[in-house]
Amino acid sequence: MTVAGEKIVVEDRKSTDTALVIGGGVSGMQAALDIADQGYSVVLVERTPSIGGVMAMLDKTFPTLDCSACILTPKLSEVARHPNIELMTYSEVKSITGTAGNFRVSVLRKARKVLEDKCSGCGDCVPHCPIEVRNEFDQGLGYRKAVYIGFPQNTPLVYTIDSENCIKCGMCVKSCEREAIDLDLEDEEIEISVGAIVVATGYELYNVANYRRFGYGRFKNVINALEFERLINAAGPTAGNLMRLSDGKIPKSIGFIQCVGARDATKDVPYCSRVCCMYGIKNAVMAKELQHENVKKVTIYSIDIRAFGKGFEEFYNMAKDRFGIKFIRGRVGEVSENSRNKNIIVRAEDTTTGKFLEQEHELVVLCPGILPPKGLRDTANQLGLQLDSDGFIHVEQPASNPVDTAVSGVYICGCVEGPKDIPDSVAAGSAAAMRASITLWREGEH
Amino acid sequence: MATEEVPRIGVFVCHCGHNIAGTVDVERVAEIAAHYPNVEFATHFMFMCSDSGQQLIRDKIEEFSLNRVVVASCSPRMHEPTFRRVVEEADVNRYCFEQVNLREHVSWCHMREPEAATEKAIDLIRMSVARAALLVPLEVKTVSVEPHTLVVGGGVAGLRAAIDIDSRGFKVTLVEREPELGGNLAKLSTLYQGNEKASDVIERMVLAARISENLTIMTDSEVVDVEGYIGNFDVTVKNNATDKTEKLRVGAIIVATGFQSWVPEGIPPYGMSLDVITLAQLEEMKRDDKLLCPSTGKPPKKVMFIGCVGSRQPGVQGHEHCSRYCCTAMVKAAADITEITDEVLILYDDIRTFGKGHEEVHRSAHEKFVMFSKFDRTKPAKTTVADGALSVKWRDILAGDNLEFHPDLLVLVTAMIPPEGVEKVSQLFSLTRSADGFFNEEHIKLAPLTTHTAGVMIAGAAQSAKDSTDSTTQASGAAAKAASLMARGEVEIESTVAHVLEELCSSCHTCATACPYGAISFDTSKKPEIAVVTEAECHGCGTCAAGCPSSAIIMRHSTDEQITAMVEAFLMPPPVMGGGDS
Amino acid sequence: MSGKRFEPSIVAFTCNWCSYGGADLAGISRIQYPPNSKVIRLMCSGRVDPLMTLEAFKNGADGVIISGCHIGDCHYSTGNYRTEVRFMALRSAMDVIGLNPERLRLLWASASEGQQWADTMREMAEQVRELGPSPLKGGSKK
Repeated sequence: MTVAGEKIVVEDRKSTDTALVIGGGVSGMQAALDIADQGYSVVLVERTPSIGGVMAMLDKTFPTLDCSACILTPKLSEVARHPNIELMTYSEVKSITGTAGNFRVSVLRKARKVLEDKCSGCGDCVPHCPIEVRNEFDQGLGYRKAVYIGFPQNTPLVYTIDSENCIKCGMCVKSCEREAIDLDLEDEEIEISVGAIVVATGYELYNVANYRRFGYGRFKNVINALEFERLINAAGPTAGNLMRLSDGKIPKSIGFIQCVGARDATKDVPYCSRVCCMYGIKNAVMAKELQHENVKKVTIYSIDIRAFGKGFEEFYNMAKDRFGIKFIRGRVGEVSENSRNKNIIVRAEDTTTGKFLEQEHELVVLCPGILPPKGLRDTANQLGLQLDSDGFIHVEQPASNPVDTAVSGVYICGCVEGPKDIPDSVAAGSAAAMRASITLWREGEH
Repeated sequence: MATEEVPRIGVFVCHCGHNIAGTVDVERVAEIAAHYPNVEFATHFMFMCSDSGQQLIRDKIEEFSLNRVVVASCSPRMHEPTFRRVVEEADVNRYCFEQVNLREHVSWCHMREPEAATEKAIDLIRMSVARAALLVPLEVKTVSVEPHTLVVGGGVAGLRAAIDIDSRGFKVTLVEREPELGGNLAKLSTLYQGNEKASDVIERMVLAARISENLTIMTDSEVVDVEGYIGNFDVTVKNNATDKTEKLRVGAIIVATGFQSWVPEGIPPYGMSLDVITLAQLEEMKRDDKLLCPSTGKPPKKVMFIGCVGSRQPGVQGHEHCSRYCCTAMVKAAADITEITDEVLILYDDIRTFGKGHEEVHRSAHEKFVMFSKFDRTKPAKTTVADGALSVKWRDILAGDNLEFHPDLLVLVTAMIPPEGVEKVSQLFSLTRSADGFFNEEHIKLAPLTTHTAGVMIAGAAQSAKDSTDSTTQASGAAAKAASLMARGEVEIESTVAHVLEELCSSCHTCATACPYGAISFDTSKKPEIAVVTEAECHGCGTCAAGCPSSAIIMRHSTDEQITAMVEAFLMPPPVMGGGDS
Repeated sequence: MSGKRFEPSIVAFTCNWCSYGGADLAGISRIQYPPNSKVIRLMCSGRVDPLMTLEAFKNGADGVIISGCHIGDCHYSTGNYRTEVRFMALRSAMDVIGLNPERLRLLWASASEGQQWADTMREMAEQVRELGPSPLKGGSKK
């Protein structure tokens, strides 16, 4: 990472009137909104070019099958339009010093090479860019140009040039009527003062390739759950047409394997990831719903089904009774590929019958668990926060103060404390906002 | 107010990705809509709610000088506020917006018949266009917010919310119907979160509440009446010990009325022996360090737990849900008592130790040699009592064996259900309830803390079964919603109220009898006297307008003409090109 | 029309709270039902003026559904008591003017009753199809 350009110190607001929220996923967005709604200023720092987090990548949500984009986009615009929220996307927190009421934060604004106040998001530059790379937002299943937005609702609606792949041909510069592109822009470091901090850097998905026996990366028709989400999403790489990667055919039989990188001490992930049972069931239902003529058989291989939240058990029953999803209790031993038709053969023990099963599926979806996000240890070190053995941030008094950390003025929400689903992350975002606003109120003059 | 402008309507049809466009022919629908009377512009777009969709609406309003906007997309219960804001940004009054529900009411429920679904979509848009032509701009009103919040329920969630609001510098009143604060948590022994003693948690919180500056605690008290609206609720609280009532004016309300632990009265094996107890009863024994068999007063040697009693029962109303906290609470209790017993056995269906640290508690139970046996919930274990001794028989699914155990103490791990009086609370605050009996949030994913009653929030087990960590998280979150309202100091309210046309009123008093809020009084200075609506008291239900025999009441934004126009547009489509389905 | 099955036109007045929520839930849960009924959203079922219902029949509705929160659950506390009283009066009136009262139905549906909503829409479509087109629009005399 190159840090060039001069340091810019922003001192136009009092630190005790401002909170920093790190992470623009659904939890961080909610925290920012609930602080800003109280009249305080918020600086929201997001590492990627857009806020929205992983929720923006999902197709539907459980247990109501509401479409993720439909319910998220208004939140995206609400954050973007809020007069008290300053968005710093494509930016990273480099260092934090100080104490509650007066934290000094240094933020690296990576050079987007596109001027945020000039770009109108028209996309006229895109056809002129000669470079095509895999789109991270689509889990690499689709392509984007070197000048890109990850998804149509990218917020802010500003294009980004990825310096790693850009060849500086200048075609985009010429195509931009608004002269919004400047390939010579460099990273800059900005220093801000804030009174309270909310850490909401989210999570990372377990790399399912670590389970060699499940064939991910070796067999084309073994994919992970987030890839599945993109494959069934109308704005995804296949325009929502569910297909296998080996031959583009609609899979007639799909197997979902649960707890891949969860509840497995041998892989150093002994804890439950809390959301996978439900997103697995949701994806199974979606496969049936989208392709009810074609998808004949959907099987979920799991240990326990943890349908614990509001409406979850009812959804689980609906999946069984109305959608005919088959549930097999038992860890999958291994999968192999039928070399003739590229189907995937799943071998598992049904622990309720003790029988050994061998089933052929046209597509297998591995449902990965949740890991602490990359860089959480660094953030924790900078702030003096403790991590638990599982790598998530430690909370001293979870029953009474679930979003407080050991450091006064620093609060957490969403998955940095441990895996969480959307409503629990949203509630935690609001909670962290409340606690942060109390710090601002106490430290401020009133 | 109402200007006699010629309606210029724009129709925006949303694909909602595949959600609508996968079933409804949106292109055709938009094409037909373009030919309806007063429609100046019609189009279709991938996501109307996205930034680019919103921009499209604003651009077209300007380009075509639109003064009425119809968006055909999803349920207005979700996005009406979004689109109202969008049109307002383009200087169209929010009440000149009309939404058609093509998703929940068309594409999702007629997925197998795309042609009929498209016809229905066409009908619905035609109806809304007819209504849109008759919409009238209304003044947007704001009211001040009383800087005072009422928290109902003094359990762990209510305490958290009240303490937070106080710490944020706002006045708050906490009402608890029991003589003591602490709720259900005060009855527990050691929590699975952080192995903390429940009494320590409660003591710490009650102390914080007692030393706070802006927090008034009212124990032995119940809310008996609520009047008013967001920002200005008039609440009557009755002290059950003294029978005295007190009136409070509050700007926001947080309902944290919690749960009760289900007691399976009259349902065996409960009641077969004194030694059959619930987990809640076991927790109280543990808390008091008196874990004894009720029949003998001796410490139990063999303890058995049965999970999911009264939970996860398809088709049994109020017991279909998973109670969320009990698996972890059960394995924690089982692990704890291994130190003072010989054998501990758990019958379970799934072990749902999902939360932070839960799996570790689960593992520690295994390490402490708690026995686990998976049974089929639909084929319950058979309990018998002979000479005061318990015997339980069941089939272990994993081993496929029929097993038997003779516990000294049988612990039924029962469901979390809504507390007694939940119906009354739901009526007081106009809250709806989900099938599990708990209160409904505004939106299950993104608005878990607010409700459909503006200014009323929910937190903790009042919303659904959950543990203290998830409850206090929601409580702080709900406190943030209340703090936002109070910090802003004012809030917009709906202008959709009733209005009496003086010259038509025949002073029959029908409207006054119909009004659920006593919002209609009579101006006796007029002869004959005429009805007058107190707008601040009117909630906009329209019952008065429906009852008025003289059609003297205009229900703003829901006028007779607007409703009738929809009916006519449906049944008697105007003969326009491409219009109608017959 | 000849050869085609008669598809009745049904107007469904729903309140904004419980019953509209129930209708939404039917969609969200992807419960399928016939598309004959068209919803007109009002704030409360108490808003439904009996004259509006008769007007709907006069305009050619083959059936009308009035739907609100369960008694006791009304968002406006007691609005739906009025609905019930007016519904009874309406049915008698229909008898008098030669309309089968079965063409009018009252549905209490909570926001969690998506299945009940869908079931009622289906039953009503079938029942009214059985009765044939409304006599007020020159159909059979039922």
